Amino acid sequence: MAFIDNIIHGKGLKKSVNSEKYSNDKLPWYTKTTVFKYGNFGIFMFGIIVVAALVAGARIYQGLYGFEHGLDSMSQGFQDYWMTLVKAELIGIFSFNVVLWLYLWYSRERDMDNVKPEVELKRYINLVLWILSYTFIVYWTTSYFAYADGAWHQTVLRDTSFTPSHNILFYGCIPLYLTFGVGGFLYAMTRLPSFGRAISIAYTFAVLGPALILPNLGFNEWGHAYWMTEEIFSHPLHWGFVVLGWNALAIGGVLMQIVIGMSKSFKKINSKFADNSNSEFTENL
Amino acid sequence: MKINYTKLLKIFLISIFYFVIDMVVAYAHGEKAMEPYFRTRTVMFYDVTWSTDNVKVGENVTIEGKFRLHSDWPQAVDDPDVIYVNQSIPGPVFAKIESYLNGVPARQSFRDMEVGKDYHYKMVLQGRVPGNHHVHPGIAIKGSGTIIGPGQFIKVSGSQKDFKFPVTTMDGVLIEDLETYALADVFKWHSTLAILGIFWLLWWVWRPLLIPRYQALKQGREDLLITRLDLTVGILLGVFVFVAIVYNYNVQANKYPITVPLQTSRMYTDPLPVADPQIKINVSRAEYDIPGRTMRMWVEVKNNGDNKVRLGELTTANLRFINKSFGHAMNNVTANYPSEHMADGGLEIDKDKYINPGESHKMFITAQDARWETERLTAFLTDVDARVGALLFFYDEEGNRKILDVASSILPVFTDDDGTGPSYQRIGR
Amino acid sequence: MSKSESRSFFGKIFRMRSEDREILKIVGLNKEQAGLARYFDFLVVAAAFLLFCGAFHLHVMLSAGDWDMFIDWKDRQYWPLIIPIDTIMFPAAVQAAFWYYFRLPIGATLCGVCLLTSVWIGTYSYWHLWTMFPIVLNVPSIIIAGCILLDVILLIFRRWIFVACIGAPLFALTFYPSNMAALTGYYVPVEHLGSMASMADVIGYTFPRSATPEYIRIIETGTLRTFEGTSVWVSGVFAAFVCIFLYMLWWQIGMAFSTVKTWSQSPKLKKYLGFKG
Repeated sequence: MAFIDNIIHGKGLKKSVNSEKYSNDKLPWYTKTTVFKYGNFGIFMFGIIVVAALVAGARIYQGLYGFEHGLDSMSQGFQDYWMTLVKAELIGIFSFNVVLWLYLWYSRERDMDNVKPEVELKRYINLVLWILSYTFIVYWTTSYFAYADGAWHQTVLRDTSFTPSHNILFYGCIPLYLTFGVGGFLYAMTRLPSFGRAISIAYTFAVLGPALILPNLGFNEWGHAYWMTEEIFSHPLHWGFVVLGWNALAIGGVLMQIVIGMSKSFKKINSKFADNSNSEFTENL
Repeated sequence: MKINYTKLLKIFLISIFYFVIDMVVAYAHGEKAMEPYFRTRTVMFYDVTWSTDNVKVGENVTIEGKFRLHSDWPQAVDDPDVIYVNQSIPGPVFAKIESYLNGVPARQSFRDMEVGKDYHYKMVLQGRVPGNHHVHPGIAIKGSGTIIGPGQFIKVSGSQKDFKFPVTTMDGVLIEDLETYALADVFKWHSTLAILGIFWLLWWVWRPLLIPRYQALKQGREDLLITRLDLTVGILLGVFVFVAIVYNYNVQANKYPITVPLQTSRMYTDPLPVADPQIKINVSRAEYDIPGRTMRMWVEVKNNGDNKVRLGELTTANLRFINKSFGHAMNNVTANYPSEHMADGGLEIDKDKYINPGESHKMFITAQDARWETERLTAFLTDVDARVGALLFFYDEEGNRKILDVASSILPVFTDDDGTGPSYQRIGR
Repeated sequence: MSKSESRSFFGKIFRMRSEDREILKIVGLNKEQAGLARYFDFLVVAAAFLLFCGAFHLHVMLSAGDWDMFIDWKDRQYWPLIIPIDTIMFPAAVQAAFWYYFRLPIGATLCGVCLLTSVWIGTYSYWHLWTMFPIVLNVPSIIIAGCILLDVILLIFRRWIFVACIGAPLFALTFYPSNMAALTGYYVPVEHLGSMASMADVIGYTFPRSATPEYIRIIETGTLRTFEGTSVWVSGVFAAFVCIFLYMLWWQIGMAFSTVKTWSQSPKLKKYLGFKG
């Protein structure tokens, strides 16, 4: 049950472990592990399982109803199976996003100047877990379901912006990676002094770039409506997605900020730790 | 918490099963989303036949027919300078065996097609994936995409596993199945390189990585981060990869001594020789009655030929309106022609008669069908190019056919037949 | 971080070396911190793998994807030109970040392995299972060989300018042979409808893509001079030339993206977060 408790309460609270039921020597073995001590791995895994289930569900849905109801956007089947899905995705995921983002803001750290280095380290690991879940859904979106889009469009005639491949890729996956992209950004800003004191340019790019793929759809569909009804995948019409995708490289800057931040926390705990982080990087942190 | 592993396994297996199965029942291919000027004034298909509507996996079906490139070619569609004899099927459920345009193999695209002229196409498809598939011929126009002809359901029965596509190369080697040809080489080489790449990644990832390396580097201890051993392993790996490329490249070159590059010639064919129909048509007005779902046309037909002619059919956007009281027109409809492309009410002609040589005859044509709306052809009312085109089939007394392509501006009529007044809300749907 | 050395084969290769212990010592990590740093490493490795599987594949798919996706686009003029030019961008940027901050010469190989992984997963799951094409039609290109060479050149010369001038041309020039080491069979001649065609042409024709007519292919239509019959190497050398400069540019882009820079935070927001002053 400790595992479930961890998922519900998070390890930061250690409710399950600190309860009177457990005496010190009866603590489960995993409470001594790094994974347990730093960061909410349980919640992270829960999120990953949910996303993986959604991805598997989407793939199965495409396999079942893609060719059966997805070929003719004027048919009733298309309205029932595909347009309903789009509405459900947009409403469902965005309302969840708003609730999550508001929660992250309202549960923010209110005394950033006095965050203990141990707590800070836990939060750094949590931030990395946020980023890992972001990259998890980014993979499914920009590789897996984007390839599905290629396969679909080369195979059948494009007759709507809401093809079975777009409905998963653009209206399901992109809102979902916003959940983790913006969520992680807010988490960092509201809990970690180094991300709260000043706005990380790299993190802003890493979140905003991929997020702007959704508005870039306007250019894409405009082009397909007026000039290009044929599918050359490397057509300049698609290069907006490419340039926005490059911003994912800015995760490198976020990584560096975390490396430097964690080094500083290490130094605060352990005076032997030789922190030589370059001052030109760290003046603002 | 006890986990029921049997149950988890079951769920997992069911998920895998859904990943693997494919349900293939396909209807239209999105041609309804094409604007009406596309479908009524570009490639006009006629005389389409499907040799059968039921094949086993590995059996052939032949699709044949003609098309005319409409003289009133829309501004928005690129000129048919380059075209390809295409098909519209839901994925490679059929393998394409042969295709021809005017008898010339249509392996590649054709150049310099002439508007106002007729062409004959033929393609042979072989059943590959079981299911009930809608099969259309199509003509792809470079820059504007594929214009789809009429579709027919063709049932493919059997099992996909039985599909084999043998090919014999020019140096006499028989390849038993094209679908798996030379894949073993690909898998072997790709996995070799992948293993080398993963080895190189693991070599570095296995050691203290980010924070320790960063801080050691800041202390100037690059000597600890990249050792002699690393350098040796790196150089050995680089040399090995280079040698492996050269070796495998040569192995393949010896295995396949004769190779050719991809082939890209553009083909050309003259249009079909079609005699001048010697009929002049002047469309004085065309209307579309929205509540009545009816197209009306006032035309004046001048017969300049030597034989009497009579109007038998109007066809547009793969929708055929037949003059049902005219035997020759009815004879032109093949028995198994898909009913979804036949207008139920047919073509109604006021003052329907044989037009004598030299006579000029005014006619009023009515083409009523709900398909104007269900096929989304009424979108010409919201288009920038509110014109409609069609093919008209005339027959003389012996049944000889003369085909004319006509086009005209079309005017919407918003009033109901019973005179209840305009219903503008129907516009712009 | 245990000191016990495993006797297994992999244990021998990937054991902790004395230099590695020295690193931990001079950095001064205590045992718990070393464990935490290791945990952090693994999380970042996983994130980097997923990120490049996604972002790099998207980049290749939408800027050179057709040549990568279809066997009947893999010609002599554009394929050995466009794919190396397109695929050197991410490896250069990732090499920059990993090399400059960590002295890890793995950026290019990481990109190559990620691309191959995601392309094969996508090909199998969608092109093959969903839209039912045989895998022969969608055999992808592979860049790992060039990537390894790029990393090794970086390891040997340790300066980006040398990698740009030696590694990048090598990356471009090895692309064609390292792919033809598996694909030569697709270019054997076949008599097809009365004319000669390569097997790749026949595959593309036989398994039709309804929205991809033949004329859509951007492939060689014939060289104007014969170049001793080796026009493919002319493309390779041109690719090598472009790759040199693209490598330089993308190294700088990689550096820019991995630099820690900040904008100032609004004072009001800082107050909400409890910063003083």
